[in-house]
Amino acid sequence: MKSTYILPQLLESVANASPQSEAFRYLEETISYSDLHRKTEQLASYLISLGINKGDRIGIYMNRCLETCIAVYGILKAGAAYVPLDPFTPINRTHAIINDCGITCLVTTPTKRRKIDNLLNEQNSIKTIIGDTIRNTTESISWETIFSVSTDNFEAPNILEQDLAFILYTSGSTGVPKGIMHTHYSALSLAKIAADTYGFTSDDIFGNPAPLHFDPSTFGYFVAPLVGATTVIIPDAHLKMPASLSALIAKEKITVWYSVPLMLIQLLNSGTLSKNDFSSLRWVLFAGEVFITKHLRALMNQWPHAKFSNLYGPAELILCTYYHLPEPPKTDDPIPIGNVWSNTEFKILDENNNDVNPNEPGQLAVRSATMMQGYWNNKLLTERSFHKVTIAEGYDHTYYKTGDLVKLNPKGELLFLGRNDRQIKLRGYRVELDEIELTLLRYKDVEEVAVLVLGKEEEVQELAAVVRPAKDACINLTYLMEFCKVELPSYAVPKTIEFMDDFPRTSSGKISRKEIGKLLEENQI
Amino acid sequence: MKEKIVSYIKNKLVTESIETINIHEDLLGSGLVDSIGMVQLVLFIETEAGIKVSPEEMTIENFMTINHMLRFIASKQNTDTKQI
Repeated sequence: MKSTYILPQLLESVANASPQSEAFRYLEETISYSDLHRKTEQLASYLISLGINKGDRIGIYMNRCLETCIAVYGILKAGAAYVPLDPFTPINRTHAIINDCGITCLVTTPTKRRKIDNLLNEQNSIKTIIGDTIRNTTESISWETIFSVSTDNFEAPNILEQDLAFILYTSGSTGVPKGIMHTHYSALSLAKIAADTYGFTSDDIFGNPAPLHFDPSTFGYFVAPLVGATTVIIPDAHLKMPASLSALIAKEKITVWYSVPLMLIQLLNSGTLSKNDFSSLRWVLFAGEVFITKHLRALMNQWPHAKFSNLYGPAELILCTYYHLPEPPKTDDPIPIGNVWSNTEFKILDENNNDVNPNEPGQLAVRSATMMQGYWNNKLLTERSFHKVTIAEGYDHTYYKTGDLVKLNPKGELLFLGRNDRQIKLRGYRVELDEIELTLLRYKDVEEVAVLVLGKEEEVQELAAVVRPAKDACINLTYLMEFCKVELPSYAVPKTIEFMDDFPRTSSGKISRKEIGKLLEENQI
Repeated sequence: MKEKIVSYIKNKLVTESIETINIHEDLLGSGLVDSIGMVQLVLFIETEAGIKVSPEEMTIENFMTINHMLRFIASKQNTDTKQI
């Protein structure tokens, strides 16, 4: 058997072995591996004819749709790196990314026409639009024309596993987007390790709710093709209507589901789980934030036939640890993030980057085959985020510092304690904001909570909690405050508790504490 | 009802500035309204139309476009009246 070094080989091998296998599906639209192999070669041929060189960055500006898989693999086959641009993000931010990595070509669909027009009105480096013909003077070409491109003279560029495959932009804490660079090697390593860890096969059907700019999309786009499975791209509309999402998962007979916990909680609350047939579901994977244990237990009781696994990893590593739940958790204690998976090792570091004593908490640092190359156009940040251990003169081991606090439990499993920067000093006391949140979550009808620090000067800083109550529940503020006073040390009791029907969230569905903080400071809650 | 929903969406919920909203425009797929916006919209409709939207009724068929919403509201108001 031939070895696989680069991502385009994934399509090639399935297309040769079982050409008619279904690669991707989006509602009624579907594409086989052989069609995908051919169409991506057409896109690659066109890109090369434009003068796109190895290592060039090409933007993907699309909603979830079938064309995303053609864009991803077409760009990779041309030797270029794809840069997913969130179509729901403000245009200024999209501009900042386009300029940061010098995107000259955007792949899109006609549904984004209005936004593309707005984008092109501003000064930037874009010269070609693929996927829609536009009235503007910018060169553009439709999908129909791409699919008539001849590939007779297509010469695959010489791509190495260390070559850049994609850049994922995340909002840095300073507000400037950081471009996380992954190579064919790191992405393929992720696919191989994940497939081994979960025993995926070509019979699996992956549910992919993650947008391309969010790293869990690597499951649907790379892990599934590695095993020759089918990926079902979940439409945007279903993600906003949990009852419809529930019906879709059942109808598509999805066997592997991977999302943030929030989506699973919404499914649980949709009141539809007992009405649909989920017997195909084999693996329920979640990552991205803490799955509140009481909700996880409720879901596991609804789906006793499925196996559940908690995954963890910042986008810089994609993923690095996993924890299989042997049974529904008995207590409300947070579940571990578990152990590092294959081809991966870790250290727990103190403030001075020394190893902590056994059982002490510290920052998790990870060395893995899935580790990023670095941050695009930001050498300083890259150097700061790595921890180098010199083994011998001229030979270092490089770890990525996650910024997450962990400790080992007596079983040797990693426990996630919160973000490093969520540990603050308040009037001399060390306060763990995440621990206060976990305490509030134990209170009846508290569905979600965000605890933040208000005020810039240390003397006037105070804690504020914002609670999302369960639907139709009414929480008595006085009782909740009393509960805090009993359960928390006095310096950790929030000064104020506010209520919100729903929280502002990031585009990946995580609670946006930054937005909540802004609303609180402006007295808008 | 139609005007109330249109103006609420246009003034409070849209993620980009637009001049008009067509009642047949796909609000869910286009990204014109995000998921928090949808939750707010459902609460708004509950108050304005005096109906109760259960979690099972949070479907694409009921909320994809303003037209779908109006049809859903009418059918709810109908059955609610019958029950009384």
